[in-house]
This record gives sequence, structure tokens and C-alpha cells, in this order.
Amino acid sequence: MYNIPAPTGLSVEGYRTLIIVVMAIILIVFEPVPLPAVAMMILILQVLLGIDTSNGVAKSFMSDAVFFIMGSLMLAVAIVSQGLDSRLALGIIKLTGNKTWKIVIGFIAISAFLSSFIGEHTVTAMMMPVGLTLVKNSGVDKRSTSKLAALILFSIAYGSAMGSIGTPSGGGRNVIMLGYMKEFGVGNISYLEWMKYAYPILFFEIPLAAVILWYTFKPRQLILDSAVRKLKIQVTKKGSMRGNELLTIFIFILVFLGWVLFSSKVGLGIIALIGVFLYMAFGLIRWEDLNRNTNWGVVILFGAAVSLGLHMKDTGAAFWVADTAINWMKIISDDVSIIRWFIAVVLTGLLTNLLSNAATVAVIGPIVLNMGGDPLVMGFSTAIASAFAYLTVVASPTCMIIHSSGLVDKSDYLRAGWKMFIMSVLVLFIISNFW
Amino acid sequence: MKFLIAVKSQEFSEPTLRVGMQVAKAFKAAVTIAYVGPKISKFSASQVRFTQERMEEWEFDRPGVEVLEWAFAFLADNNYIAPTTIEAGFSKNTLVQTSGNRCEVYLQGTVCKDVNLILRNGDIIAELRDEVQRGKYDVTIIGGSQKRGMAHNLVQYIDSSIFVVKNYNQEQSYSLLLPVNDSPHTPKAVKYGARVAQAFDIKVNLITVSKTESFGESYTQASNRASKLMRRVGIDHERHFKTGDPVEVIKKTVGDNHIVVMGASTKNPLLKFFVGSKPLKVMEDCQCPILIVK
Repeated sequence: MYNIPAPTGLSVEGYRTLIIVVMAIILIVFEPVPLPAVAMMILILQVLLGIDTSNGVAKSFMSDAVFFIMGSLMLAVAIVSQGLDSRLALGIIKLTGNKTWKIVIGFIAISAFLSSFIGEHTVTAMMMPVGLTLVKNSGVDKRSTSKLAALILFSIAYGSAMGSIGTPSGGGRNVIMLGYMKEFGVGNISYLEWMKYAYPILFFEIPLAAVILWYTFKPRQLILDSAVRKLKIQVTKKGSMRGNELLTIFIFILVFLGWVLFSSKVGLGIIALIGVFLYMAFGLIRWEDLNRNTNWGVVILFGAAVSLGLHMKDTGAAFWVADTAINWMKIISDDVSIIRWFIAVVLTGLLTNLLSNAATVAVIGPIVLNMGGDPLVMGFSTAIASAFAYLTVVASPTCMIIHSSGLVDKSDYLRAGWKMFIMSVLVLFIISNFW
Repeated sequence: MKFLIAVKSQEFSEPTLRVGMQVAKAFKAAVTIAYVGPKISKFSASQVRFTQERMEEWEFDRPGVEVLEWAFAFLADNNYIAPTTIEAGFSKNTLVQTSGNRCEVYLQGTVCKDVNLILRNGDIIAELRDEVQRGKYDVTIIGGSQKRGMAHNLVQYIDSSIFVVKNYNQEQSYSLLLPVNDSPHTPKAVKYGARVAQAFDIKVNLITVSKTESFGESYTQASNRASKLMRRVGIDHERHFKTGDPVEVIKKTVGDNHIVVMGASTKNPLLKFFVGSKPLKVMEDCQCPILIVK
């Protein structure tokens, strides 16, 4: 590829950037080398292929989005370690009662609500023991509870994935897109403005997801009376809320208020890091635990992906890809406004199921912002579509977490996922065009 | 000798474990029983590990521990492990993390040498291959109810001999079918065949297949040597000389009441991948346990 001349209209640097993009995608999907090695390859090649100087690459590598990803991964460890899952369990049961369908809606809604503020995998890590305790207490053997297990686990995973669009802090990809929007001069969206656009999508998706999952994995157990009772007993044994748990919640509320009130000034990432600092300063989490449980490889990879995205913009590669795509679309119709939107959303949705959602937005973001139309709508829709990680086990950490329980098959993701995918695209289409 | 037995669940792996331990006992081999759980994407590895730690606080075992518990109970019921080990019981706390995706429990064996239980996560072929390289196993034993291509891939990529316990029925009375010819792996296959026949106390059918009517001297010599060994170790056996395509003849002879032991192909891996080989074809087409000796 390196020896093939650059296509007309694309600079040599832009062409070389695209070569790195293709190589990175292949390496991320097939994982022949560790992910941090892919990140390093991206950074090294950007310098060696003459795309930017080493200082330029280093500057583009670290941004508020990377601070946020780092901070939110550490916040997740700090919050989950406090054992708040048992309190959550009690809350869910009080809200839902013992009917299975109500419990499913409860799991989806609560997972979605929580994951719109904290990382989706944090919520899944807290909800999974609660869900599996209900499953364990509801049947005598694995076979009799297999559909119930799938139903509960997918409610948690998909609920968390859906919810992560709710606020900018719901996922690193939202922050990456906000960063691009600022960089491209599209404008600033505040924390509350984002919620104003995203939450209606969530309100539509929650009941629809419940219906889809219910009819895909209809369980035998329609009432979980004894399971709920046993869960209550198990949770009650843990006693009343401790000081550490209250302090954990208090600090998180401070972080949330910081995001709402000050993120436009100091950035979401810095506020997340303040939260981590407070958790460590108050002795709620040890650095050793943060260090052991934070996936530093992912942080490095996302930093490299953002750097690549910025160089796609600077070298004109993003514009060239967007322009070429629009010209192809014009073969179908001269009015490309709807086609453009669908291609951006569906491509993002599909890529997010193969790569990671943040890496997808980092690479696709600069292209869609150059595709014409209202860049605000295009960028926002792309960030939202990157949450449609329903189709594969590797789509997101939430999917992988429930798969690691050994209770859901790989084929289950496709069984429920394609319906969820289509539903989500349609809901997003309606909201982005009529809200 | 070292044997590796791969198990997946109590439901499907009971015959594999039963046959595997029976054969290991005949070889007086050290045994490792391995469970390989789902592959965890590198993107999610720390989040999954973290969630599993939370699950343990809710008294949920790590996936796969229940399979090892069942294997422990099987070993205890059949007195494959020492009484003191049985009394101590299986404790998940004894699982020692030996690398990122590998945990191990050491048990003291009785009729076999040591018995280890291990838990791994990842792609099953890659994990078993890694385990074989790490432990230098002589034989890997897997079930036949797994994906069609898996046994094929294991035979292709794993350095040890492979015993695929396909459709084994404890109530069925078996004979052992041992194809012998002048291939370099035949002498070892004959030795292994004799041990397996002793393990199950069954008769051996030595079969030599030639594509033409005349049997070369090397073929008859191979059959003579195999027969001599069987006689020496006191195994009831019969010799058969048949003409035709070896794979077809073996397939016809096997039925559902034979355990097949045959030498691996000496073709290069690339040729085996594209063209296949006799042992691979027999393994794919026959519905019976088969040991491919390397």
C-alpha cells in the first residue's frame, strides 16, 4: 500500500494516515498483537511516515478525552469496590416486586440510568451479581433457568449499553466526539444540552428493549417470588449503610455536579480525575487496587486512536474519505441527506461491534464531521450509534462480562442483537430528525 | 508419560474423563484435567476480572470451577486420588494462579501419578496447544461432541498424540482396531494400542490395507511385528489383510464397536491442511473413539 501512489485529491500524508488506519483496524479486530502494541505502532508510524513530528504526535496523544477515559476507568474501580451492589439490589427489588417482566424492566431502566453517569461496565459489574443471585435462586438446574439467565444478563448488558448515551460522562466516546466538535469548530454542547437530546432516545429505547428481550428469551419463571425473598435475606444480612459507602456516593454526587456545572470550563476528564483523587485521599481505594484493575492498555490505545483521528483531520484524509463517500452516495440519489445519515450511523454501529466504541468514534468522528449536513446532528448521531454494541461478544466490555459468566452463548447476541440494532437506529432516526 | 484431558461440562464430558482416566491408569501417566473457558477480549480483560472478583464476594464461583469440582468428585468416587486429598475436599481457594489466564490445583494421585486440575480462558485450540507445549504432554484427550472442526484442528496443531473420545458407550463391548503399515508412526501406535487394549481388556484387530492385491514385504513385516508384540504382552488379537482404499476399508470395518488406534500422517502440515490425511479422514467419518499417535 505504501508504494501505491496517493489517490487524486489526497495528500501523501493523508494517504499514509489512512494506511495506518487500515492496519490499526485489522490489528484491533484480529488481536494478533497486544492492544498497547497497536497503540504504539500508531504513534511510531505517524512519526516515521512523516505525518507529524514526535512532539506533534505526543501533543495529539493526550487530551481531555483521554484524561476522562483514564479517570472513568479508575472511578469505576473505586465505586464498585465499595460493595454498593447490595444496596442496588434492595433498591431494584423495592421498585419492581417479584414479577419477572417487571424485574426485567427494572434491570434495564436502572442499568440505563446509572450507566448514563458512570461507565457501562461499572454498572454491569455491580448489577451482575444481583441478577445472577435471582437466577440461582429461581431454579434447580442450569437448563431450567437458561432463558431466565439470558434475559436478566442481556437486560443488564443492553440496558447499560443503551444508557451510556445519556450524558457525556456515560462513555469515553461521547467525550471524544465532544472534543472533535470543539476542534472542528462545530460548537460546544454542555452536559445538560447533551442530556436534553439523548434522554428522549433512552425513554423510547427502554420499553422497546424490554419487549424485544422478553420475546427473544421468554422464561418459564413468570414470578420470582422465592428468589426475590432469598435475595432480600442475603442483602439484609449486610446491615445498614456504612460511612464509606455514604462517602463514596457523596463524592460521586460531587463529581456529577462538577460535570454539569464546570465541565465546559475545566473539561470532563479533569473532573473525573478530581473524583479519583478524592477517593484516594479519603482512603476509599488504594492505588495498588486502581493500578491492578485499570486497563492501561485501553487508555493508551484510545489516546493513540484520538491522535490518529486528529491527524486524519489535519492531513485532509478525513475530508477526502468523507468527500469520496458522498460522491458514491450521489450515484444512488442527488439528495444524500438521509443516505448520509444512515451510512454514518449504520457504519458506526457495525464498526463498534467489531472494534471498541471509543476507537470507532475516534476514527469515524473526523470523517462524519466532514460529510456535510448539520455536523452537530451527524456528530451526535455517530456518538449515539457507537453505543449500539449488541451484535457480538467483543462489542463492548459489558457484552464480554456477561459472556464470561458462561451462561450466554455467542449466538444469543445475534438473536437479540439484530432486533435491538434496528430498533435503536429507528429511534435515533426519529429523535434526530424530529426533536 | 503425561496425559492432558480436556473437559467442558459434566453433561458432555463424563465419557471423556472416564475413558481418559482408564487409559492414563494403564499408562501409569501423570494426568492434567483442563477446563477452557470463554476467550476474554483484551479490551475487556481487566473489567471481566474485576467483575469476577465482585462475583466471588457474592459467593459465585468463577465459571469453570463447578466443572473442576465435578472432576474432583469423579476422581474421588473412582479412587484416582489419595484418600487424604479426598478428605480435604475440593476448595476453590487451592486454585493457584500460574499465569494471567491459567489456574491450577495439585492433587495427589493413587493409581496414576499426580493429577492436576487446571482452569484456562481463551481460544480452546490455542490454550490446549499452549498447555501441551508447556507441560510436554504425550497424549491429549478430548470429547467428540465438540465442534466438527475442533478435533481436526487439534490433530493438526497440537504436538502430542490425540485421543478423540467420540460416541463412547460404557455398555458397548468394544474391540480395538489397529491399522498397521510401514509408516514411521506405526510402531508407536502399536505400543499405544497394546496399552489401550490392556486398559479396556479388549481384543485387538490388526488390519493391514493395501491398495493393490499384493502386499509388500514392509507391510507384512509391520503386521508380523505388531502381532509379535501383542502375543508377548498376552493380548488376544487377529490379523486381517484387506485390499482397497485404506480409509474406506477402515470405515467399513470400524462400525460402532471399535476403538481405533492409528499413527499420524507424515505429510507436511500444508499438504494435510489442503488435502487432508488418512487419520483425519477416519476421525471425521467414523463415529467411534480414535487415538491418533504422533
